[in-house]
Amino acid sequence: MSLSRPMARRNRRIFKALGAFGLLALAVHVFPEAAWAQEVASRQYGTFPLVGSRIAIWVTAQVHLLFAAFVLGVPMFAVVAEAIGIFGGDEKYDKLAKEFTRLLLVAYSATAIWGAILSFLLVTLYPGLWLYLTEIFQISMWVYVGLFFFESFTLYLYYYGWDRWSQGRAKLGHWTLGILLNVWGTLVMFIANSWLTYMMSPPADVGPDTSPAMVQFWSAFANATWMPINIHRMIANVVFGGAIVGAYAAYRFLMAETDEERAHYDWMGYVGNLIAIGALIVLPFAGYYLGREIYEFNQQMGITMMGGFMSWLWIIQAFLIGVLFLAGNYYLWVGMGRIPGAERFTPYTKYMLMVLILGVIVWATPHTIIGNREELEAMGGTFHPFLGVLGLMSAKNTAVNIMILTTFLSFLLYRRANSRPTVSWAKTGTIVQGALFVISAIIVVFYGVYGYFVSAIIRIGFSVYQVLAVLFTIFAVVGIDIFMMRGAESRGAIRWGQMPPRSQYALFILAVTFTWLMGLMGFARSGIRQHWHVWEVMRDTSVDAATPALGYAAVVISACVLIFFTLVAFIFWLGGLAEKPVVAKVSPGAPSVTGGPELAPAGGD
Amino acid sequence: MLVENLKILAVVLGTLAVFTLVANSIPQVQSVVPEDLSFGANVSESELTSSGEDLYSGAGGCTACHGLGTVAPNLLTDEGGTGSIGARCANRASGQDCKEYLYASMVEPADYVVEGYGPIMPDMRRSLSNEQIWALVAYLQSVGGEVTVTGADIGTGTDPAPASPAPATAAPAAATTTTASLDPVEIMRANTCFACHVLSGEGAPIGPAFDGMGARVDADYIRRSILDPAAEASEGYEAFAGLMPSIFGGQLTAAQLEIIVQFLASQQ
Repeated sequence: MSLSRPMARRNRRIFKALGAFGLLALAVHVFPEAAWAQEVASRQYGTFPLVGSRIAIWVTAQVHLLFAAFVLGVPMFAVVAEAIGIFGGDEKYDKLAKEFTRLLLVAYSATAIWGAILSFLLVTLYPGLWLYLTEIFQISMWVYVGLFFFESFTLYLYYYGWDRWSQGRAKLGHWTLGILLNVWGTLVMFIANSWLTYMMSPPADVGPDTSPAMVQFWSAFANATWMPINIHRMIANVVFGGAIVGAYAAYRFLMAETDEERAHYDWMGYVGNLIAIGALIVLPFAGYYLGREIYEFNQQMGITMMGGFMSWLWIIQAFLIGVLFLAGNYYLWVGMGRIPGAERFTPYTKYMLMVLILGVIVWATPHTIIGNREELEAMGGTFHPFLGVLGLMSAKNTAVNIMILTTFLSFLLYRRANSRPTVSWAKTGTIVQGALFVISAIIVVFYGVYGYFVSAIIRIGFSVYQVLAVLFTIFAVVGIDIFMMRGAESRGAIRWGQMPPRSQYALFILAVTFTWLMGLMGFARSGIRQHWHVWEVMRDTSVDAATPALGYAAVVISACVLIFFTLVAFIFWLGGLAEKPVVAKVSPGAPSVTGGPELAPAGGD
Repeated sequence: MLVENLKILAVVLGTLAVFTLVANSIPQVQSVVPEDLSFGANVSESELTSSGEDLYSGAGGCTACHGLGTVAPNLLTDEGGTGSIGARCANRASGQDCKEYLYASMVEPADYVVEGYGPIMPDMRRSLSNEQIWALVAYLQSVGGEVTVTGADIGTGTDPAPASPAPATAAPAAATTTTASLDPVEIMRANTCFACHVLSGEGAPIGPAFDGMGARVDADYIRRSILDPAAEASEGYEAFAGLMPSIFGGQLTAAQLEIIVQFLASQQ
């Protein structure tokens, strides 16, 4: 059988290419010690034009992580929303879950692209470190790729099969796909976390002279900070996903042309904010666990992080979390304006605002001030003579726990605003709830004050009592509320969509602040290694080995956030071109804040 | 729509600007890389103390703990009425003068934990070179005391410390290897380990037996014992403390050392 001329030409090209490749392979085989090969093998660092290698890697890794956090966080609450839709029989949650997943779909490819860029930059700019890590973690890298493959196709099946598998057993199967999507995504994150946590906390028996081939895989994989980072990131991803969904909803709300659209995105923004703030309340406990493990691994590293050159970073963190608490509460307070009956709680908001501001001020007070000899002598020590007392952990723990209680109270008032309980024990229940708030506040303040009269090691233990008191109150009060509000009368329908635009800007501020906070914490985690690629094992000998100050880091973080939001805006716009989202039909009878407007398909779905 | 988009952009940029401004308005502290030091025999006191001060307040990371007064003693200011470190160092350990005490407390900190504080200080040889440690000693002496460190101290055998660790991917330091073998028994034979240790009937029972060593001690301990045998005598062999030469750190390649350590740790 003869070949056509173009096909023959193509085949000749293929044979030529194969021949060249064969010669190259032969050359490499015959001359394995070629000078160029040695030079390449011994090259530790590459160079990146204009901004340098560090900035290139930093920005790429941070933007990749922001997208990754979004695509890992959103499926968690998408699958929960779908479950509420299935088991609660409320279709609007199913529609909401689908809209969450639509956002996910468009963000997913951006995550992969930035991941690929990161890999190429690591290979070309930090080949020494890359070779070292691949020598230890190559097996997990192959598994990572496999799981990523499964995750991608599970996501496509989950989204594109939404309408096809919408009834009966098929719907349960679809929901299982959502769970699987979370499983793959979580495993992918756990694997990647092992690489970066190894750089922070390599096993104790690994030293500068230990060949990477001698490092035991599992001890490197499950290193000291691996699980704390896993837990911390899982919760933070939910917070971040909620905040970005909130910002998306805020944008659509502000651009909405109909009342239906406005009502739908008002509700979606509320759900996003609720998820973000709800998970944020738990996040400090995961952060505490991570910090404790860092201290356990290496006291010097822990002290460098909290009391050394990074001590001021935590002041900035306190400022950012203060912004989050204030913006989150502000959104709830403004939102009460659309809830009939909420006006009876309005007088209390100014007191809650005062408590929150006081809390932020205490939390943002520096603990110790690093100074030179003259400065320390002038101040009489490392503590400020007047404000130093507020910088201690006793005061800070007290402040943050009171802020959490206050935020929870805001949420409770919001939740109960348009309801009138009808159970016979409603008054007693409310008194018990109030008493729980008062008792936990007393416990928090008591241990905060008592902490000044005991040694540091005992004082650290007090924070556990404070946290337990607050968590118990949150769970107990919610438990009572659920039973007390069964069959409650409505004081009037929530006017979804009737929110002033300023409330939506609060959602933007929340999203930007969360994103910036993630960048800052990324800098903290990476920066505490200082001039080590792998802590006390592999020294950073590049021109960028010094860890920059916070001001410099802030500029880079802001640039990362700006790049991220620009891309998010672009890909959401692209997603909107492809498909119209579901919008809500304003319902005059939306019963409570836990529900939302009735939804109606608007085509395209 | 354009106005609304501009407003959103203004909110985002405004928020970023505020955060960036706040982060730039606080004291800017950079973590610098410890500068390599090289002192000649005639190094001056001011050279030493100046380098030491830079390290103390910067790349050495000393202020992270010693500046707090809660997790480690204050060094630059008074500590419990005993004065600053230069004034009190000579009285800290019997039989050691100021510079001996300061040097030893940096390279073997676990043996010099001050009452009331935890054993949190790392062996500074893991992150600093011998020259850097001596510069720190000189600086700390200068804080309330007299500097007695000289170029002779830096070059003498007072230094049991290896130099600052080389990058992990760099070639091992020029070791005077006795064999190129990577077989653990062969390496030990070439380095005359069996002159004092027994393995499977080979060797003399002067030091701890290699048989069953992994069941008694871990890999870290074995590595430490080879590199710094004088640091700790094995239980039951106190009478022979100091007998084992401390030359193997320079004699073995890194790979050989690790092979021996893992081999002995696996002897159950």
